[in-house]
Amino acid sequence: MNHLPQAWGRPRDDIYGAYDHSYLPQTHANTHPTTHTQSPVVTGTSVLGLKFKDGVVLAADNLASYGSLARFTDVKRLKPFNRKAVVGFGGDVSDMQYLDRLLNSLDVQENYSGAATTEEDDGEAPAATADGEGGEDKHKAILDAKNLHTYLSKVLYKRRSDFNPLWNAILVAGLTTPPPPAPSTSTSSPKDTTTSKPTGPAPSRKPIPYLAYADLLGTTYSSPTLATGFGAHLAVPIMRRAVPDEAAAAKLSREEAVEIVKKCMKVLFYRDARSMNEYSLCVIDGKGVDLQENIKLEGESWAFAEGIKGYGTQTV
Amino acid sequence: MFIARSEYDRGINTFSPEGRLFQVEYSLEAIKLGSTAIGITTSSGTVLGVEKRITSSLLETSSVEKVVEIDRHIGCAMSGLQADARSMIEHARVTSQSHVFHYAEPIGVESCTQAICDLALRFGESASGEEEESIMSRPFGVALLIAGYDEEGPSLYHAEPSGTFYRYDAKAIGSGSEGAQAELQSSYHKSLTLQEAEELVLKTLKQVMEEKLDANNVQLASVTKDKGFRVYGDEEMKACVGRIEGDS
Amino acid sequence: MAAFTSYVSSAGQPSYSFPQQQSAPSHASRAPIQHSFYPYTDNGGSTLGISGDNFTIIAGDTRSTSGYNINTRYEPKLFRIGGEGSEHKGSKIVLSVVGFAADGHALKERLDTVVKMYRYQHGKEMSVNACAQRLSHILYNKRFFPYYVQAILGGVDEEGRGALYSYDPVGSYEREFCRAAGAGASLIMPFLDNQVNLKNQYEPAAPQGLEKPQLVPQPLQRAATEELVRDAFTSAVERHIEVGDGLQMMIITKDGIEEVFSPLKMD
Repeated sequence: MNHLPQAWGRPRDDIYGAYDHSYLPQTHANTHPTTHTQSPVVTGTSVLGLKFKDGVVLAADNLASYGSLARFTDVKRLKPFNRKAVVGFGGDVSDMQYLDRLLNSLDVQENYSGAATTEEDDGEAPAATADGEGGEDKHKAILDAKNLHTYLSKVLYKRRSDFNPLWNAILVAGLTTPPPPAPSTSTSSPKDTTTSKPTGPAPSRKPIPYLAYADLLGTTYSSPTLATGFGAHLAVPIMRRAVPDEAAAAKLSREEAVEIVKKCMKVLFYRDARSMNEYSLCVIDGKGVDLQENIKLEGESWAFAEGIKGYGTQTV
Repeated sequence: MFIARSEYDRGINTFSPEGRLFQVEYSLEAIKLGSTAIGITTSSGTVLGVEKRITSSLLETSSVEKVVEIDRHIGCAMSGLQADARSMIEHARVTSQSHVFHYAEPIGVESCTQAICDLALRFGESASGEEEESIMSRPFGVALLIAGYDEEGPSLYHAEPSGTFYRYDAKAIGSGSEGAQAELQSSYHKSLTLQEAEELVLKTLKQVMEEKLDANNVQLASVTKDKGFRVYGDEEMKACVGRIEGDS
Repeated sequence: MAAFTSYVSSAGQPSYSFPQQQSAPSHASRAPIQHSFYPYTDNGGSTLGISGDNFTIIAGDTRSTSGYNINTRYEPKLFRIGGEGSEHKGSKIVLSVVGFAADGHALKERLDTVVKMYRYQHGKEMSVNACAQRLSHILYNKRFFPYYVQAILGGVDEEGRGALYSYDPVGSYEREFCRAAGAGASLIMPFLDNQVNLKNQYEPAAPQGLEKPQLVPQPLQRAATEELVRDAFTSAVERHIEVGDGLQMMIITKDGIEEVFSPLKMD
């Protein structure tokens, strides 16, 4: 080690020669190259989300893998934001932790601005007058799941546009208040072939379930059933069989929804090599967030494995 | 009148206790020293007229340029410090062209006037940490009459160094503005034709000018739907001046 | 920092204190630095626009895909531009984007802000052709890192005729009578050429041979055009896996935008 701190931890110039900057763009010449995440390191696997009649179920296992090594077995990947929104993270765990910190500071900021009330105030919160929501929701406006999803997707899109992505696929689940009914002039149509849109703002201003996806590219979409990673292949077909559309989700009870998600977690544990048998499950509805972080997989049975040959399609 | 104001005269962006910006007010005074300019709107177009001060018989009168084109459909007349007007007009021309570039349509006359006025208050010291350095050390010493023809029809705007602008049917600025405005007030009516407006401009100028009006020491221009902005040539000027000579 | 530069020879090449078998990073002998992050993806789907005498129809399916996965069955590719507030009340311009959906959203938001700012700055609604030119510039300004989308812009022009503009990802644009874009474009566009511009259609009674007179395109009627759009999509759904689930149509007339949704096959 010499007296130049700039040189510490770098190849010695007297042995290896000066760092050759020639391959760097001119703007970086004589500085250290900027480094970005080019691939995830410690990763979490699927996150599942399913809407039901008055809320959303979210689930993700507690494993963080280092390649194929099951490195950490107690990593909680469902992060509650407030009583209306929870975020489930797949992908790079360090980026998840960064986003979690970002969301915490956002929450603190929002609370300091005086706009939000916390769960503790639920009973005593004065009737809101500012946003004109009336008696339906007595709380002052807080960031709901839709707001949070918009925010996160912009963060992700900005970072991908800077070629410095946050290597995550996330689900944002919770509640949102639909916009006031749109004026009929722009959407009316007497066409008989017209059916109601699969997702459309409900006429009332009662908070409705919200579930949406965003990823490292800034891609976003929403659906009554969603899953990231391996779950998109294995769990989505199972969930879609029970909940093909918004109408089916509006009929589903909380118990049914939890049961479907638990079944999917089991299938994922059977078939996803980067999964484990302990997971977090979260239900967000009008009453708030109900998060359980150490659920053990129940009724596990590998008996089916005996019958499987090849990829499972082979019969002889 | 100009006593004991020195304290608030120093900082050009400093309000006086009465809530006035003296430098801006002084800039309005500068315009009152300028040559007279008049604009009149009719249903078919807007006419601009300016007095050229021919200070010497050796002066080439065509080099006194006080009516200029901003875009095909917008022109302006000025009174006050000519040089200040140059940067305003440059800005207006660039804004107009950039509007065509971005939106494939001619800029509106009001938008163009607004763009000029946006420039007017960019003087004085900028607060530390501000992104943009201020580009001028004092307010402009020139007022503009902006005439144009857009989808709303013909229009006339008056832009001041204070950054405010108003739309007028008829407006006079410069040294003879008080008398001229009074004349316009009494003679203007909505059903003026373009020709009558040309004559009214010349007559009014004739009243307030110190020199005797002729085809060389005034300049007319007009904006119409068909021909756009147009500065009148020598022949046309002679014809117009001839018309009012014949009348009186 | 002197230590960092003192071993650079006068030729600008690094020199070493002992012979090197393998030189330190030297760009000449190496392949270019590879970045493993690719900032784009394709979300499939298809869009289509047809302009008539006094209306324009823009349509798009509502499926969003990544690879063989269906992300969701309802993710609109059609956006109202301008108008009042987030509801776009009174808007008469529609933008459709197909390709990379995240870029599509970003583009739509850019254009929407521009159109809304225009109304504040110029005190009038932006015309479709002004909006078309502006959209071209937005795309072109990002040509070195393009919005990976094929955009179609529709509205009614100042004479009340249907106006339709189509774009490539870097802003080349053209006013047309019909255009299909996205995954199903190669299936839909030939159908449109034949049915809208009457390509390869001749007077039935005419003699065979070189002088067969081509049928002349007639102004389209709205009801017939809507059916044409539906037919185009039902056919594309049959042959393209990335197209399906739902058909969203927006019909722009001088009175505003009408939205029509109809289901498509979900297989």
